[in-house]
Amino acid sequence: MRRFRHFKVFVGGLILIALVVCGLAAPLLAPFDPQEQSLEARLQPPSWAGGAASAHWLGTDNLGRDIFSRIIYGSRISLLVGATTVLLAGLMGCFLGAIAGYFGDGVDEVVAKVTEIFLAFPFLLLAIALMAFLGQGVINIILALMMSRWVQYCRVVRGEVLSLKEREFVTAAKALGGKDFYILLRHVAPNTLPSVTVVATFAMAVVIISEASLSFLGLGVPASIPTWGSMLSEGRSYMSRAPWLTIFPGMAIFVTVFGINLLGDGLRDLFDPKLQRQ
Amino acid sequence: MKKKSTQGLNRREFLKTSALAIGAAAAPAIVRDAFAATRDRVTVYTSSFAESLHPYKHSSSPIYGQWQHIFEPLVEYNYKRKDYDGVLAESWQFDGKRWTFKLRKGIKFQDGTPFTSKDVAFSIERMKDEKGGSLQGSNFKDVTEVQTPDDLTAVFVTKTPIAVFLDRLENRFMLSKAAVEKYGADWEQHPVGTGPYRFVSYQRGGNLVFTRNDDYWGGKAPIKEIVFRKVTEDAARIAALEAGQCDFINNVPVHEVARLDRHPRVKIDKIEGLRMFFLAFNMAHKPFDNKLVRQAASYAVDANSIVKNIFEGIGYANQGPVGANVVGADPKLKRYPYDPKKARELLASAGYPSGCDIQLYTSPGRYPKDVEVCQVVGAQMAKAGFRVELISQEWAIFWETTGVNGGKLPFYYIGRGNLTDADILYDQYFRTGTTKRTNYSNPEFDKLIDEEQKAPDMKKRTAIMQQAGKILMDEAVFIPLYNLADLYGLAKNITWKIRPDEKVLAWDMAVK
Repeated sequence: MRRFRHFKVFVGGLILIALVVCGLAAPLLAPFDPQEQSLEARLQPPSWAGGAASAHWLGTDNLGRDIFSRIIYGSRISLLVGATTVLLAGLMGCFLGAIAGYFGDGVDEVVAKVTEIFLAFPFLLLAIALMAFLGQGVINIILALMMSRWVQYCRVVRGEVLSLKEREFVTAAKALGGKDFYILLRHVAPNTLPSVTVVATFAMAVVIISEASLSFLGLGVPASIPTWGSMLSEGRSYMSRAPWLTIFPGMAIFVTVFGINLLGDGLRDLFDPKLQRQ
Repeated sequence: MKKKSTQGLNRREFLKTSALAIGAAAAPAIVRDAFAATRDRVTVYTSSFAESLHPYKHSSSPIYGQWQHIFEPLVEYNYKRKDYDGVLAESWQFDGKRWTFKLRKGIKFQDGTPFTSKDVAFSIERMKDEKGGSLQGSNFKDVTEVQTPDDLTAVFVTKTPIAVFLDRLENRFMLSKAAVEKYGADWEQHPVGTGPYRFVSYQRGGNLVFTRNDDYWGGKAPIKEIVFRKVTEDAARIAALEAGQCDFINNVPVHEVARLDRHPRVKIDKIEGLRMFFLAFNMAHKPFDNKLVRQAASYAVDANSIVKNIFEGIGYANQGPVGANVVGADPKLKRYPYDPKKARELLASAGYPSGCDIQLYTSPGRYPKDVEVCQVVGAQMAKAGFRVELISQEWAIFWETTGVNGGKLPFYYIGRGNLTDADILYDQYFRTGTTKRTNYSNPEFDKLIDEEQKAPDMKKRTAIMQQAGKILMDEAVFIPLYNLADLYGLAKNITWKIRPDEKVLAWDMAVK
């Protein structure tokens, strides 16, 4: 069992690392400029599947752009949006969750009501509404996803803090004269980290899918930036004629999200004390 | 324990009955769908479907076409002759502030009552009654009175002479005064007109069924019954046509044409559409106040390549400021040829030797392949030194006073539909003060438009509009691109006379 858990973390981590490398080294890895159009060479199949004459490993899209290069560059947006959103939403959610759980009473009520309001909206619908209001752009998409994603952290952290604050070591810290924020930061927060890490990995997967969905709907980043979601959207009208336009970006999303979920799953098992004792 | 099992039984019973009920409801549908197109019935799956049976609720051309089965207008534009044909009106006369229409003799409504000038006056009153749901009142705001000296004469009295009045009567359908008064508030559910088909049934978002009016004054149509059904998803319409569930579909996407054409039971019919696509500058914004920049941009965009590569060659690049079939088109005009080198030189002489940054606005999903087109335009213009940033906006934000109509967008991709006459475009986009869409202002051009709108004779109007068109091209006030094709898919045993106005009319069809 334990070996399998390590295996999950290993494979998931490997996929995530591959994504990071793709994103960071995109200009080195991509054989073509992802924006370069060549209308004469549009809709060419992958070089290993009938497109022998073509120099494009995964073929070209409806405007003659190299799909492989676009997927590599597309990983940048997925990674940037994913990581930044998870980080920002995490900071916001953890902070609110921690003070709600620790101080309780009035603070807790206010935070609970706000989280309920946010939870009342379906996640993607809220993001769509925010994007329609804010307009396209990388910063806007991060903001929209963050606004609809911090709630999960908040709830988890609040619950954890509620139980942690009753533990002996917190009482001890209090007895020793520790101030509230000191105790929160030094004694309570570190103990929430395992759960937060798990929430974060799953959130990252959801955020990447959401970014792809928003881009698919034309509400994501501007059309000039290649993203997997917009590649899917543009390619879908060519599904029957040139399936490679949608298959490869679709696979990129699938593998990435699968890898991150695997990582999250493995981490959860590793951190779970009950499983560890077995 | 016992109670529980009864509940289980009930649930099972319930499921069984509902399954039976659903099956029973679906069975007639399946049987009907098995029919191919026959003389008895043609089924049309359409992306544009009448939202109500109130023929004065403003709508698009394909929906006018559906209403037109029951109701008829006084006159109708003939796209071949480029002039008006009489429908309910036999002849007309323009005389200063009076338009006199002689109505056809012996026309009866579908309920048997005769059609008279009283019905014309009544219908116009209803159209002007915007509280009653009409959105067509603005067409008659200058009409002070409709006189009915006898049953077959209707006289429209206007505040000022209006030479283009026939255009305002296009798609303005005549109701039966007697029927509307008889049914009162419920008249929408009982549409009575003079048209070649009678109303059978209508469900909002479902089917709209018409059956032939055998007493029609203009002779019997070949098809007995026509069914319109709303199917907005392209793929669903295509699949239904391929499977033989329907006989006729509209709005076939260009990338499906080649495949459908190979289908043994399906054919594709196409015609140059009336929507013209173009790139508009707003000349209140820099750098487009500079004619040289606009000309540079005109040289930089290759409309032919867009038609060929994005629209699979199924489109018609514009040579002048309007499409070749439009009244006022000038066959002598030529578009700016694609010449990025020349464009770069012009841009340099306009004061931008190292290129310039511009934003191109579009509303994704509004028009076929709009984002693709704008991306190609961006790449083409980049070769001439423009650095184009593509900005997508929601239609409401793009179109309203926050965007195009507030004069806020410097450069945008747009389509003008139903463009039969150059005046429509020239007045709306380029005459000083009509809209803020381009903020173009040229007294010489305005004067030509004023003249053209008052000219009673079509030839003279055309000549004046050609002059106006030449000014627009010289000044490069916009970049004309193309008209696309209206594409229909139909069963091979149907023949029909295709029309450029997106109307699907049963009497244009015959079944072999």
